[in-house]
Parts: sequence; C-alpha cells; structure tokens
Amino acid sequence: MQRVYITGLGVISSLGAGKEANLKRLCNGQSGIGRASIFESKYTESLFFGEVNLSDDSLKEVTNNQDSVDLSRTALLAFFAAEEAIEQAGLSKGDLSSYRTGIISSSTVGGMCNTVSLYNDANRKEKPSTFIDSYADAEHTMRLIKRYGIKGYSSTINTACSSSANAIMLGARLIRSGRLDRVIVGGSDALAKYTVNGFNAMMILSDEPCTPFDANRKGLTLGEGAGYMILESERVVDNNRVLAEVIGYGNASDAYHPSTTSPESIGPTLAMQKALALGGVKADEIDYINAHGTGTVNNDETELIGFSNIFDQPPIFNSTKSYTGHTLSAAGVIESIYCVFSLLFNEVYPSLGIKHPMKGFASKANETYLSGIEIKHAMSNSFGFGGNCTSIIFKKA
Amino acid sequence: MYITDLKAILPQDTYTEGVLTGQFKEHNEMVFSAIEPNYIGFIPKGLLRRMGKAVRMGVGSGLPLINDHKDIEGVLVATANGGMEDCIKFLNQIVDYDEGILTPTNFVQSTPNSIAAQIALLGKKQGYNITYTNGGLAFENTLLDAMLLFEEGLHSKLLVGGIEEVSDYSYNIDFLLGKYKTEPISKEWYLDSNSVGAYCGEGAAFFVLVPESKEYLCRIKDLDQITYPNEADIDQLTANLLSRNGLTLADIDSVVLGYNGDVRHNKWYDHIGDSVFKKANVFCFKHLVGEYRVCSSAALWFLTHLFQGNKVLYSKMLKEDRHERPLKNALIYNHFDADQHSFILVQK
Repeated sequence: MQRVYITGLGVISSLGAGKEANLKRLCNGQSGIGRASIFESKYTESLFFGEVNLSDDSLKEVTNNQDSVDLSRTALLAFFAAEEAIEQAGLSKGDLSSYRTGIISSSTVGGMCNTVSLYNDANRKEKPSTFIDSYADAEHTMRLIKRYGIKGYSSTINTACSSSANAIMLGARLIRSGRLDRVIVGGSDALAKYTVNGFNAMMILSDEPCTPFDANRKGLTLGEGAGYMILESERVVDNNRVLAEVIGYGNASDAYHPSTTSPESIGPTLAMQKALALGGVKADEIDYINAHGTGTVNNDETELIGFSNIFDQPPIFNSTKSYTGHTLSAAGVIESIYCVFSLLFNEVYPSLGIKHPMKGFASKANETYLSGIEIKHAMSNSFGFGGNCTSIIFKKA
Repeated sequence: MYITDLKAILPQDTYTEGVLTGQFKEHNEMVFSAIEPNYIGFIPKGLLRRMGKAVRMGVGSGLPLINDHKDIEGVLVATANGGMEDCIKFLNQIVDYDEGILTPTNFVQSTPNSIAAQIALLGKKQGYNITYTNGGLAFENTLLDAMLLFEEGLHSKLLVGGIEEVSDYSYNIDFLLGKYKTEPISKEWYLDSNSVGAYCGEGAAFFVLVPESKEYLCRIKDLDQITYPNEADIDQLTANLLSRNGLTLADIDSVVLGYNGDVRHNKWYDHIGDSVFKKANVFCFKHLVGEYRVCSSAALWFLTHLFQGNKVLYSKMLKEDRHERPLKNALIYNHFDADQHSFILVQK
C-alpha cells in the first residue's frame, strides 16, 4: 500500500488565476462573486456569478493557445490550472509520458458551454462550427492528454457536484494500489447557459450572492473554474516536495431523491464515516471541514445534520462557495486545494455572507480569519445531484 | 473478478436473449437502434414516461439485476454522452425561447450521472456510485474501478454497465465529424468494406461482478488502456498485459476485435489480429450492434455468452477460424476513433 502525496496545486476561479491570487482573497475575505461581464445570458442582469475574470481570448493567451479555434472555455480553464499544478510538482516530459502517470479529470458541462454552436450543430442548422469536435464531457481531458503526451491511465468523471472529489479519490486509490506513480486529478467547468438555465428551472439559484449557512439563505450562486492536483506515490516522491497527504476518502449514494438530500443526511454521513474509517482518524481528530455548503435550504440543513451524526462537537467549518460560487465539477478540487492552504498555513478563511446563523444547530460556520491554529487534518465535502456524496481527508505533510 | 450475471438492451434481441438462439436482427439502415423491452412491471409508469432513452435503457437493464441480486452494493456506470436527446431538447428550449421559463425535466434527465443515480434510487443502493464519461474508455474505467474496489476489500458485489443512446442530435454531430457512412448498409457482414465511416449503434449492457466465485460465467482477469498511442505503444501494452498475467502470445486463443467497417480504422485491428495474435481465432461484434463509445460493454456481453459455449453466436461473430482450441483466454481489443484504445483480458 503506497502513501499518496500532493506535490502540485493549480487553480483558477473567480478569485483569480493562480494559487496566489486565490489565497490572497481568501485571507482578505474578498468574494469573487459579482455581476458577470464575460458570460452571455439573459440572467446576467438578475443573477450573480462567480466568473473567471478573463475572456476566452485572454485565457488562450495565458495558456499559449492563441491559434486555437476549437477549444471550449472548459478546456481553457483546465489548461491554466493543470499547467500551474504540473509546474509546481516539477513533472518532466518523461514523467508525464510514463505509462505509470495518469490523468483523471471531470466536468459537468464539458464543451457544451458553447451553447449556440452546439444548438446549430446538433440541429444541423448550418455548416459545422469550429467547435464540432469539442462538446463531449471528456473533451478537455483529451486536450490535456494530447498537450502533455500522457500515455497512462485516463478517465473523465461526471457525478455532478462531487465530480472532481471523486477524481481525487480515484487517483489516490490508483496510487495506493501501486498501479500509478503519478496522477493529475481535478476538474473544470465553465459558466454555461445550459447549467444556468437548468439550475434556474429547478428554482435553486439565489438572486443575491449566495450565503451558505445563513438562516435566510436563498440558494446557490453558480461559478466557474478549474483545479488540478498532482498526486504522487511515496515510491517516487522526495519528502521536501510534499504539500500534504491524502489519507481518507469515501463515496456513498444518498438514494433518496434526484435533487435533494435525505432529511437524515444518509449519504453525507456515510461518505464522512467511510473517509474517517479509511483514514484511520477519529472524528475529533478532524480540525477543519471545508463544507459542501452550497447555500440551498436543503443542502446546508442536511449537511449540518450530517455533522451532528458524526461529531460530538463539529470542528471549525466554512463554505468557500461564498467566494467562488458553486463551480460544479470543479468545486471538489478547488475546495480541496483551499483545504491544503489551511494545512500549509495553519489558517481558516471566513465564510462570507452570514447575517443570522442557522437555528437549531450547536455549531455555526466560521466567520472570521483564523490564523496560528494547528490544522492537522482537513476534510472536504462534496455532494452531488443524484445523491452522490464524497468526503476526502487531507493530512498535514 | 468474475461475471455472475448480465443483462443487455442492444440492437439485437439481447433482453429476452432471442439472439442466443439465432434470432438476429438484420440492420440495413444508417442507425442500429436498440431493441427495447416495454419495461412495464419494474419501472413505475409515471417515472418511465419522464425517462430519456439512456436512463430508460440503463435502468431497464441494471435494475432487473439488482432485483435478482439483492446484495449488490455499488453501481458503476459508463456513458460518454448520457441523455443527449434530453440535453439538446433542453438546449433547444434555451435557444428557441430565449432562456424563458423552462421545465427542469429534460435537464435532470440529461445529466450523465442520472442513470447511476436512478438505479441507486430505485434499487435502494447506498454504496459506492460513480459515472464515467471518458468517451471510448468509459466502460473500461468502470471495470478497473470495480477491480480496485474488490482489491480494497470493502465490497463483495457490484453492478457495472455501459450505456449510450442515439438521438438525432448526437447522430448529427458525429455525422458532421465524418464518423458515419453516408449510404445505408448493403450487406450483413459489412466490416470488410473499403469505405470510410461506421454505422451508428447504441445500447446498454450490465454485469454483476464479484471478487471470488465458484459459480461464474467468466473471469475478467485484467485490462489496460491508452490514448493517442503509436503502434509501438500498442505492442508494449500487449506485452505488459500478458507478462503481468503470466501468459504468452500463444496462450491467447481468441481475440474480439472492434472492426467497424471504417477503412481508416482497420489497421489497428489488423495489427492485433494478424500480426500479434496470428494463431488466435478472430471474432467481431459491431456488425451486430454498430459503433458507439461504450460498445466494449456489448463485446463483453457477447463474449460472456461465447464462454457459455453458444454456437450460434460463435459462428455469427467468427471472422478468422484458425484453430480448434477451446475458448480459454480471450482478449477484447477496441478503439474509438483510433484515439482511445483498450484491452480486456477475459478468461474461462
């Protein structure tokens, strides 16, 4: 059984392009949620978004894809975050093309963010658009594989909002089993009319910036972004490159309803229990939880019920979706990266937007910037539509 | 790991298994449509009406297996595109009604993980649940995941399947990409055609997998995959797969190849069937089900029945008869668009 270390992180979100920009705004308690200026939709006037503040052309420039005419925004975001992670881990060309290096990515919208061209191509309205080969969920994964010459295991996961958490989990399992030495794990999702209208039709979007764990929360705010982590086996890693360790993970199906969590919080509770058991840590050893915390009435309530099922006294928790909005498939990995920040710097960022803490629960989300506290074990929760629940535990290096 | 049961809805009568007694459907159109059962009796009617085809076929083949094997713990699903029909229907509403008031049904049905979610919901399975969308390797992803879950010792029975639906929309996109032939089919065994493009297929095939069993149908011993390989990579992967399983080239008595009638794709299969495994019998399956991204799940369904000694399928699928050896070690080799390649080693 090989231990699984994190050696590289890459992130792009409404907090900015890159780790430093994200970290700075987390520390300052500055949300990235606002009015969208790049994303085109009727709803940009009435809703708030966690938009990445770079146009497709700017993203092409920063990712060296100036000449591309067929890359989706999902793929462009993925390129940015993957590059940052690979660079930090210092993976060579040879490392990347080894049969023992893999990639596991995830997306919910994939290349469908090009709504209009997909509409035309699917209905054969005009001659094929330049995006004709870019709609698949796995498109961005294929692009990353081609760019980095990855020949080992590859996968793309779509379990809605828990997608990239499942990518981290699978990557860790493949390393632990000895099948891979290195794996790039994460996910990417661009804002899309498809998801905005879908969530809007389900009536769970807030008309104000989301306020997870507030008593009067009104729903979620959609965001976009990408995050990637490099996981390496203890077999190939030297200790001074280790940022943190993946020690536990668990996935369970709530099997209750297509879009709401069971009142007893069955799925979330099972996922957290499995992660604790596998990680060999007791509940009271968890120092911090980056909650799923979407800001919907149902999620935040059931997540807290899940906490009380597991913890006598829940640890410090927050929802960083109050900064990024809900980045769907990317949420799990972006929030896991923020967990690693907390482990590295012994700090916890304030959950934003809480005016009145939720009633009936002993614990409330952390609302202030905390530093100089010992964070040894951090848990990241991700719960997706269809009842897909995943919990991951990271340990300080 | 071992296959102990299976169920499929494919462009042949696999659901009631007429195909096993020689009732073959001769497709002579551009799209090989799945032969669906009426689903009545095990999918509630109200639910069935709302289900898109991918969800319906997935639940329709997965749920009966859960009903027959109550101790299944987890559900692993492969689907590159999920409910494309519902997806584009929803998209059409967005564009046609300029993002007006929309109903969420199509949206909910279209998300790829709604298949595994519905199976878990209806089958009340609170264990591991995952959906792979990795194009031509999505089904292989589910198999490796199942193998890992068994190795980890936390599971003892899993449901694994691959589903893809054809809709006008998905057909249009792949047609514009040049994946399909432009003329309807002219002969039953079209796999030797010298033209470009394949015929589009669809279907769902599910398997009950266990880590150990005395009564099983066949054993999935190992698998491997690669993206954008060259021929040397394929040779290396084949050699690695055989050596880590203690096998030599001569031990492989049968190969199941993904010939799809697209002349651009044959060289990869020719290489495996004619140059690497010169003494193995060669079987094909896409003349029965057409081409789609998770069709290696269909190949596994057919191969499992070949392992049961089904002679009708044997002669229907046999391309090259090279020996009289019994079926013992078989290798499924498939690629999608020559980009994503996979091997599945299946044993008696």
